[in-house]
Amino acid sequence: MKTLAFAGALMCSLLAATALTPVQAADMTHERALNVSKEPHNWLLHHGNYEGWRFSQLKQINTENVKNLRVAFTVALGGYESGGRYKHGNLQATPIVEDGMMYVTDGWGSVYAIDVSGGKKGLIKWKFDPGTDRAWAGDVACCGVNNRGVALWKDKIISISLDGRMFSLNKATGEMVWERKVADPAIAETLTLAPLVVRDLAIVGSAGGEFGIRGWIDATDLNTGKQAWRTFTIPGAGEPGNETWKDGKERWKHGGASVWETATYDPETDTFYQGIGNAGPDWDPEYRPGDNKWAASVLALSATDGKIKWGYQYTPNDPYDFDEISEHPIINAKVNGEDRKLVVHAARNGFFYALDRTNGSFVAGKQYVDQLTWTPGLDPKTGRPLNYNPNTDVQQYAPGSHGSRTGAPSGRLCPSHYGGKNWEPGAYNPELNLLYIPSIEGCNTIDTVEQKDFVDQGGPIKPRERFAGGGGRPTERLYGSLKALDPATGETKARLKLEYPNYSGALATAGNLVFLGHYDGTFSAYDAKSLQELWSFNMGTGINAPAVTYSVNGKQYVAVLVGSRQALNVWQNAPELKNTATASMLYVFEQQ
Amino acid sequence: MRTGNLALAAAILAALFAAATMPAHAQASLSPEEARALEYGKEIYKVKANCQFCHKWDASGDTGYGGIALSLRKTALTPEQFAEVVKCGRPGTGMPYHDQYAYTDKRCYGVTRAELGKDAPLLGESLQPREIDAVVKYLFAKAVGRGPATYEDCVDFWGQDTRQCEPMKK
Repeated sequence: MKTLAFAGALMCSLLAATALTPVQAADMTHERALNVSKEPHNWLLHHGNYEGWRFSQLKQINTENVKNLRVAFTVALGGYESGGRYKHGNLQATPIVEDGMMYVTDGWGSVYAIDVSGGKKGLIKWKFDPGTDRAWAGDVACCGVNNRGVALWKDKIISISLDGRMFSLNKATGEMVWERKVADPAIAETLTLAPLVVRDLAIVGSAGGEFGIRGWIDATDLNTGKQAWRTFTIPGAGEPGNETWKDGKERWKHGGASVWETATYDPETDTFYQGIGNAGPDWDPEYRPGDNKWAASVLALSATDGKIKWGYQYTPNDPYDFDEISEHPIINAKVNGEDRKLVVHAARNGFFYALDRTNGSFVAGKQYVDQLTWTPGLDPKTGRPLNYNPNTDVQQYAPGSHGSRTGAPSGRLCPSHYGGKNWEPGAYNPELNLLYIPSIEGCNTIDTVEQKDFVDQGGPIKPRERFAGGGGRPTERLYGSLKALDPATGETKARLKLEYPNYSGALATAGNLVFLGHYDGTFSAYDAKSLQELWSFNMGTGINAPAVTYSVNGKQYVAVLVGSRQALNVWQNAPELKNTATASMLYVFEQQ
Repeated sequence: MRTGNLALAAAILAALFAAATMPAHAQASLSPEEARALEYGKEIYKVKANCQFCHKWDASGDTGYGGIALSLRKTALTPEQFAEVVKCGRPGTGMPYHDQYAYTDKRCYGVTRAELGKDAPLLGESLQPREIDAVVKYLFAKAVGRGPATYEDCVDFWGQDTRQCEPMKK
């Protein structure tokens, strides 16, 4: 009897192991990260690949049949609870999918491992809740309770929490192996971005540009859970670039230059391209005379040691809060008949930029938003704003486009200080050579309030106090766009006006589709050439996250997190959405 | 020692001054009903209407992603005027209205949305009269007319289960 029972139990467990759970995924290695195109059924990296393309080779779902897309299943998640200044958490994560297992996060940093291998339902296999100190972290998050996702490494999941910690989790069970305090909310540092894993390093950076941080990029050695290197995004005294802070009061120590979206990475030169946020205080540039490097810039850094190879600043002495933290895709293209290695960026300031990624020199720039008032254009040689004056320390961009201490009333700023393009990632279809930019169109107004100094500079401002030097004011309804650009020139090849500004991000597929969510809850598929809408489904609550696609057992699915706190800037512009309730859901679609 | 006595005298003076400027009702111990009413008003300020997003948890006002919000600790408004601003918002500023039917007729400042045009305020969370009453009572009990917030005020607002108030610890 005993023997039979044992044999039966053994058979049961074997059956369970083979039939009911996904195949045990292989370790995530650097080799796999470099070759994601060999695993088109998976979505292994935050931006789809290191180059930042958010492109899938899957084409079972395509322009012909996308009209038959339907909900396969949904999964309710958590994390929309209040904390700090926020009434709700948000879902902004890009799902990571590996062999039928999906890993997503909510805004408060809980990680959900969801078994999607059956295609009929999503079963939460494990959940890791880091126990985030919500009031402490939420009160110094400028713009929402956000977490943009996890990374895979070996047999671990690497995640972060808003209160500044990084975690290594057992991929099979969710059990924590170690945690490291990376950012310190005591000085208003928070973490919101998905880690970039390169070999055995996890690279993140600190948010907090509205609270007087000095930004940094930090690498954790994943074998030990200890810091490998840290590079400040504002150079210290004596370092090149520090001379662009000319206030004489060491205001660079609280000058912002935050980091809050995942970088792109070029393995050929072991360089990653990190977009850098606004200078602080956001709207009182007279407080910080000088160009304020490396705020509102891109930095090219060595992944091995964090050394800065070059930097390029988009908006010197930025008076608008034009963070440039969003993705910088790596693209090789012919420019004037010559093969060029480019890193490109649709900037929050309304211009598209193509830079030579080997040295940071300017290749091309072009306005991509409908309206742009702050400068008449870019210098064709340097890419600097045409009204940039090298002989002044406080820039006077177009009159009325920003506030000043004189108290003169400000006028229209286009694009509004939200962008252009905010954090929400674009996508690139290499087969069509088109870059898809979801954007925020329209204008608003900036009011400047003279910023007082920090306590360590003899002023009254304590760490964690807001440090913005003014505020934005809505003056007209914002709308959105989806545009398809030529990545070598920035020329707009196709455009589609959207009812709402876009705060979710794009997915491109070889089925010649672009997927995009909207904050009225509509999730749409567009023709990749014409941008004509081919299909849509409304989820009944706002979408604030980019979609991914994957396949299991040979069948393609499209997945997106749904649930937005409907921020002030959303319902100020769209009062008809004021009563939309917040939810927290995963939606997965399939072909009928 | 002279210094010590002086310091003591100064401390007494400061305490007397603080007591004199504090609203009288704040000193009296609250009945359970009054305590519940303040707690109710606090939840509206903190979560439901999310007033703290712009005015900050201690109602000292701020600049940033909520726009530019005034200090409620320094307001010169009476409770009745204050309630009107909560209900009707402030035309031409970022202060939203909380009576969802405001400006559909002339109940607010005798004007309609059409008359205000671009100056019409935005709609905040819709509040019932008893909720507006509660949030006004809460602010007049805890913030209006007071000096800078203290560590105790912070713990009172956020609770003990967070490091939020540590920087204010003396």
